[in-house]
Formats: sequence, structure tokens, C-alpha cells
Amino acid sequence: MEVLGSSEYNLETLSDDAIREITESYDGFFTTVESLIAGAGDSSVEKEFVSHVSTLCKYGLDSLVRDHFLTSLEQAFQKTGAALSFWDHLDDYCGKNHTDYGEEIHQVLCKALEEISREKQYHDKCTSMVVHALKSFKEERLNSDAERVELLFSRFQSMLSSTLMTTLPQHFPEILHWYFKEKLEELSAIMDEDDTQELESDGMDLDESGEMDADEGYSRHDELVKNIGKVVRDLRSIGFTSLAENAYASAIFLLLKAKVHDLAGDEYRTSVLGPIKEWIQAVPLQFLNALLSYLGDSISYGTTSSCLTSPLACCPSPSFFKVVTPSQGTVRWKLRLEYFAYETLQDLRIANLFEIIVDYPESSPAIEDLNQCLEYTRQHSKLVESFISSLKYRLLTAGASTNDILHQYVSTIKALRAIDPAGVFLEAVAEPIRDYLRGRKDTIKCIITMLTDRSGRNANGSPGDSLLEELMRDEETQENVGFDDDFHTDDKQAWINASRWEPDPVEADPLKGSLSQRKVNILGLLVDIIGSKEQLVNEYRVMLAEKLLNKTDYDIDTEIRTGELLKIHFGEASMQRCEIMLNDLIDSKRVNTNIKKASQTDIELGESELSVDILTSTILSTNFWPPIHDEPLELPAPIDKLLSDYANRYHEIKTPRKLLWKKNLGSVKLELQFEDRSVQFTVSPTHAAIIMQFQEKKSWTSIDLAATIGIPIDLLNRRVNFWISKGVLRESNANVFTLVESITDSAKNESEELLASDEESERSIAYVEDQLRKETTIYKNFIMAMLTNGSMAVDGIHNRLKMFYVADPAYDKSLQQLQSFLSRLVAEEKLELRDGMYLLKK
Amino acid sequence: MSPDFEKQIHELLHCRWHAVASWTWDAQDETCGICRMPFDGCCPDCKLPGDDCPLIWGACNHSFHLHCILKWVNSQTSQAHCPMCRREWQFKE
Repeated sequence: MEVLGSSEYNLETLSDDAIREITESYDGFFTTVESLIAGAGDSSVEKEFVSHVSTLCKYGLDSLVRDHFLTSLEQAFQKTGAALSFWDHLDDYCGKNHTDYGEEIHQVLCKALEEISREKQYHDKCTSMVVHALKSFKEERLNSDAERVELLFSRFQSMLSSTLMTTLPQHFPEILHWYFKEKLEELSAIMDEDDTQELESDGMDLDESGEMDADEGYSRHDELVKNIGKVVRDLRSIGFTSLAENAYASAIFLLLKAKVHDLAGDEYRTSVLGPIKEWIQAVPLQFLNALLSYLGDSISYGTTSSCLTSPLACCPSPSFFKVVTPSQGTVRWKLRLEYFAYETLQDLRIANLFEIIVDYPESSPAIEDLNQCLEYTRQHSKLVESFISSLKYRLLTAGASTNDILHQYVSTIKALRAIDPAGVFLEAVAEPIRDYLRGRKDTIKCIITMLTDRSGRNANGSPGDSLLEELMRDEETQENVGFDDDFHTDDKQAWINASRWEPDPVEADPLKGSLSQRKVNILGLLVDIIGSKEQLVNEYRVMLAEKLLNKTDYDIDTEIRTGELLKIHFGEASMQRCEIMLNDLIDSKRVNTNIKKASQTDIELGESELSVDILTSTILSTNFWPPIHDEPLELPAPIDKLLSDYANRYHEIKTPRKLLWKKNLGSVKLELQFEDRSVQFTVSPTHAAIIMQFQEKKSWTSIDLAATIGIPIDLLNRRVNFWISKGVLRESNANVFTLVESITDSAKNESEELLASDEESERSIAYVEDQLRKETTIYKNFIMAMLTNGSMAVDGIHNRLKMFYVADPAYDKSLQQLQSFLSRLVAEEKLELRDGMYLLKK
Repeated sequence: MSPDFEKQIHELLHCRWHAVASWTWDAQDETCGICRMPFDGCCPDCKLPGDDCPLIWGACNHSFHLHCILKWVNSQTSQAHCPMCRREWQFKE
């Protein structure tokens, strides 16, 4: 309808001549178009075609020209089967796996693309001819019409690509992807070769052959890039720009990912970020550079061949700007690739974070890498989540020993401190470990052992150092830095500090205070597990007491040193009792030598008397030691005499003070002589007392023996078992023990060590737990009285105890401790728990 | 007793005995009448018990931490009295 409406000629005004002219040129136009598209046209046909077009246009039939031309192009395109034959080339690979594609696919793809672009180029030429003709006619016409002419190209382009798209076989993207992958791998192999060659030639003097090889490598590289570029260009020209781009981008990313995995792998001792970046620079970026600049060239190629706009320009795509300005394009690509590399490496490292932290000090390069990646990607929350789940799966299980968990905890703190000095993420990660450790009974003990034990904690670090000493060193360096800051706080420094300020990460818990207040303090975090430093010190005191009681040589240098370190951390006041205990040992040593000196001069040993030389003693200030199990024990007369002599001397030296023996404590080293051998034992006084009774009588009934030694029968039986297991005694009848004079069973010999260590587990110091039980029992009556007024929740009881138990002993239990105490009361059926409220059992 | 057995006793006598004891002040009371702290501990001003914080007996046979009674005696303007029995305070010879 527009055909004639827009023209300046009107149907009515058309003369017969004009009508004839129109029909003639119309027919001529049809035939010329056909022959043109069929490729049979020579210059005369073209001329004829141009004249027909201009005639038609004269009558305002230009849109008819355009439409018909496009339709016939399309028909031709479909009829000649260019599209179909293009796909036919690739049909063979339809059913195959990408692994079976083989080499020839490259050639097939290239050939197919070449063919179709040739076809297209020819059609382009035809189109340009039409455009030309239309343009030359309409030079003086309106701009809008000229634009419509330009539109012809894009219409043709979209027609072409839609034709191809509709017939697109499903496996085509796969083929493309695979093609680029193969080519890139080839390229990277060439680059690698070059690298090694360069290395080699660096080693030797640059010899001719090496240079040539390198040249060859570069030319091969160029060749390859050119080939790929051609494929990409052809793909673009048929409108598969985004398809092509997707394919090579995904191929590059795949290659990059493989490279990252290959480089990083399970190796945590070296930093891989640098090599990865170098590789990105060397392989994919260089390739992209070459590719983009090659495609950039094709712009000029396109414009010179005919006055067509470049095939790139006519297919607007996301990559449009990249091609026009290659430098910007490469920069974008570089950022994209680097981000991808960072993310891949980060994911890899996060997945292996557990192992990395297990060998922490050695794996610090990996941590450093991860840190850089995270700075770039900001996916800390991913780290936290994944790490927590692997912790839960691998560490916080019943199978892991508390020691291992604690070591991992410390390593985690150290490692994460590098990533996140503010400790925000550490807080999140540490929480589950802490919660878990609180549920274990031996946690406190393990922490203290870890803190104070100096014997071979880590193999590579300075061997004689306890964790505590290590922490001290850390802290000193940290504090020095802090002091420096304080000393130079003039205006300039203040300004520098201010400009260095960084906000807390978003994930920071606002309740925990800001960056400056929060310093990652390993000891603090360890104490946090236990709950309070008092508890830790208390537990340490018990362990110290145990250790000191077992000392027979007064050598307490290590303990003094540890005590001093703990004093620095926990304050002098809380370590007071420990200090007194250590002092007792020092005093004991002095007193011991004094007593021996005094007794040597004036005593003549009787026949059955023992020399005071065999006796040493530890004298305690009981009030400052943890409660000690005191069992009555009757020692054999000579020993008893020795002890009372010793006590008398003590009384002489330290007049108003006297000694009270704790006869069941201490240790006795004795040697038993048998017919065939002699064996040394280190046993408790009770054991010694038992075996000594057998000097007088070869066999004892348990009742008699118990009465003589003054201990309960069940205890006696337990103690006698030790000697029976050693093969020294045997139970001849029920409850009658007899001395075994010769041991022929050598197997008994073997088990010695084992049983001795068994014996050690019998402690002379009350467990803290027992102590706790005793302490909480004080509150029992108070709680019971409190509950006569009605039921209360655990919080309420806790608060009220805190309020009223201010006098000595102040109520210092944690809520958890109270809870466990209350649940014990419930178990004893003293209380009842209903809906979280405790009430008296009726 | 067999000869072997004799030998065994002999060896047994050559043992080394490490014993454990606690010391205590040989006083009638448990705690100091002035500071109410146990004698076996120390007065509130002291850190170490024992020789560093000794006890002292008055003529009246009442005992106190030395530091405690000295403080008491020095705080009295005229003649000091035993805090327990109000007799004139004299250090026991």
C-alpha cells in the first residue's frame, strides 16, 4: 500500500507508457535478480539490473525492490541449501562423543565455515549492489529513506542468521566448544614449549637452533591464532557472534580452571598465585590479544573490500566494544580471567582449608594466597561456612582426641589471624569448636598440658618451648608495635593512624566491640573455652600439686618458670597459691638438708634402725594446696621410727611448728631380691608397707594384713593386686596371700611398664570435679530452701546465689556448673524439673 | 626364714623413702584471734605462710600472728592488753 502511496506518481495519472515501462522493468528486474543471485550475472546483467532498479524506483517502487530482493535471496539461500549443506558437514559428528571428534573436525569446521562465508560474501555483494543502485537514485531524497536502505543489510543479516539458527543442530555449540578447547590446549602446549626452550637457552648461550625453534614456536603460534581468528570471524559473519564468544570464553575458563587445579593441587608449601597470574598473562591473554587484534584487522579488511560495513559492526553483540578497542577489551578480559582465577583458587583452597590448617606453619603460602584471593573476591562467608562444616565433619567427632582438636584450634587461630586480623571470621569459625570443647571433660587438662608441657610439642619449632612461651614471644612483638604507636602519637602520627583506619567487615558482630579493641589473643581464646581464668588457674594448681607430690628430687625449675609466665598472664594474686606450693618445695629441700646435717653428728645407728639418709620429705602448707586424700596407714616400725625422728628434728629446728605426716603419700623406691634376680620398684607407701609385712611372715590373710597396715580390706585388696600382677605375691587360698620366692614366668617381666603406668592413674589429689561437687554441695541446702517458696528457673537460682553468697566462699560457679549440679539433684530425686523450672520433689 | 629371704629383707631395707608431710603451728587455736585467718595460713598482710609470718605467744598463752599482734600493740596508746583475755600483753619469754 505504501508502494504507490508514497510515490509522487498516482495510479490514475499513470500513462500507458509508464505502465508498460513499469511492467517491463519489473520483469527485467525479476530475471536479473535471479541470474545475479545464481551467480551467472556478468557486468552487462549488472548494468541491466541497475537500470531496472532505477526505473522502478522512479515510480516509487523501491520498497518492492527491497522486499523482492530479500525474499529471493532467502529463497536462493534455502534452495541452494547453503544452510543445510553447512550443517551437513557437521552432521557426521552428531551422535559422537566429543572425545571421538578427532582431528578432522577442525578441517571440516573450517571448510564448512569458509564455504558458507563465501556464499554469504557473494550475497553481500549482491545486496550492496542493490543498496548502491537504490542510493544512487535517491541521493537527493530524504534521510529516512537512506536509513531504510541501510536497514537492508541488517535485515539480510538477521534473515541469514535466523535461517541458520532455526536449523541449528543441538551438538553445534558442543563442537565449537570442543574446537576451541583443543586449539587452546594446543596453544598452551606451544607456549609451554617456548617457556622451556627459553629456560634452556637461558642456561646455555643463545645458540642458533634454540632461536630458530623459538621462532618456529612463535610462527606456529601466530598461525594457530590466525586459524582460530578466521573461524571466529566466519562465525561472526554468519551471526553466531555470541555463540562463538561463549564457546571460546568457556574454553578459556575451562583451561584456566584446569591450570589452577594443576598448579595448586595438594601443594600448600608454595605460593601459586604468582605463577597463575604469569600463566594468564602468557597464554590466554596473549591469545586473546592476538585474536582481538586479528579481528580488529578484519574491520579494515571488510571496509576495503566493498563499501560494506564490517560484519562485526552489523551484528551488535556484547563484544562489540571489545573489538573496536582491543586494548580495553583485553583489559576487561584480563580482569575477568583474574577474577575467575582468584575465585577458582579460593574455592580450591577453601575446600582444602582443613588440611591446610593441619600443617599450618608449613602451609602459610597457601594461606597467603587465600588471603589475596579473598581480598579480591570478598567471599569470606563462603570460607566460614565451608570450614565450619568440614570442622564438624572431620574434627568435632568423638573419634578426635581433645589434644588434636586443641592443636587444630590453635592452628586455626594462627592461620585465620593472617587472613583476618580483626578476628571477625575467626569468631564465627571458633564458636563451634569452643562449644564442642566445652562438652569434653578433659579439655581443661589438655589446655593446661598444652600450655605448660615443654617436651617436644612441635618437631620443627624450638623444641624446649611450651605453647605459653611461644605465646609470650608473640605478645611481646605485638605489644612492642603497640608501644611504638603510643610513643609517637603526635599529630602527624595521629593523622597516619586515622588514614589507616578501616571499617570492620560487614559480618562483624557489633556487640563484640570494634577493631581496635579486638585483638586476636590465642591465650584469651583458650581461656574462653574454659570460661574463666580462675577455673584454669585452679585446674593448673591441681595439676601442679600432682606433679610436685610426685617429685623426689626437688627439681622444680620448669614449674617455676611456667608459674612466672602464668603470673604475667593471670596476675600475681591468682597465682598466689601456686607460688606458695612451689615455695614449699624449696623450703622442704632446705629443711631436709638441715635435718640430715643435724642427725649425722649425734646418732649411732642401732641394729634394726635405718639411716635418715634414705628419707626425704616434702613439707606442705596444707591450707594452700588442693584437698589431699588422707588415708590412715600403719607403716612398719623401722620406717615409722624414722619418720617420727625426722619430725622431732623438724620440731627442734622450727620450734613452734611441727610435722604431720601424710603417710600414704610419697613414693618409695625399693629393690626386691629374688632367688634368680632383683627387681626395682617405685611404689606408693601403701604398697611398700604391704610388701614389707611379708618380711616377717610369708603369708597373710587379707583381714590380718589390713588390720596390721590399718587400711580397709577393699583398699588392701586393690593394692595387693599390684604385687600379684608383678608376680611377687600370689593368692594361695581365698584371701590368703603368699610371697613368691622365685619367678620363672618371664612374661610377667614384660608387663611391668604397663602396670606401673596404670598405677599412676591413681591420684593422690582429688579431682577438680570431685572438688567441685564438694563445693556445690554447700549450696544444696540453700537451693532447697529457696525452692520451698515456689519453683524457679536455673537463671533465677543462679542470680539469687550470686546475690546472697558474697561472703567467703563467694558463689563463683558458672551457669553451666550450676545446671549440672541441679541436674544431679534431679537425678537424686531431690528436685524435679518441669518446663525448665526446678521445684522440690514432693 | 630361708637364706634367700634374709637377703630380700636386706635389700628391702635399702630403699629410698620419700615422704610427704604438712607442717602446722603447735598452737591451741586454729585461727588467729585478730585477723581470723588460720594460723597455718598467714596474716592478711603477708603472702607466704610459715617462717615469713610467724606466730607469737603472750604471757597469757594466747597466740597470734606476729604481725597482727604487733599492729595491735602499736595501735594502743597506753599499755596494750591481750585481745582475747584483756590481760596486760607481755611477749612470752
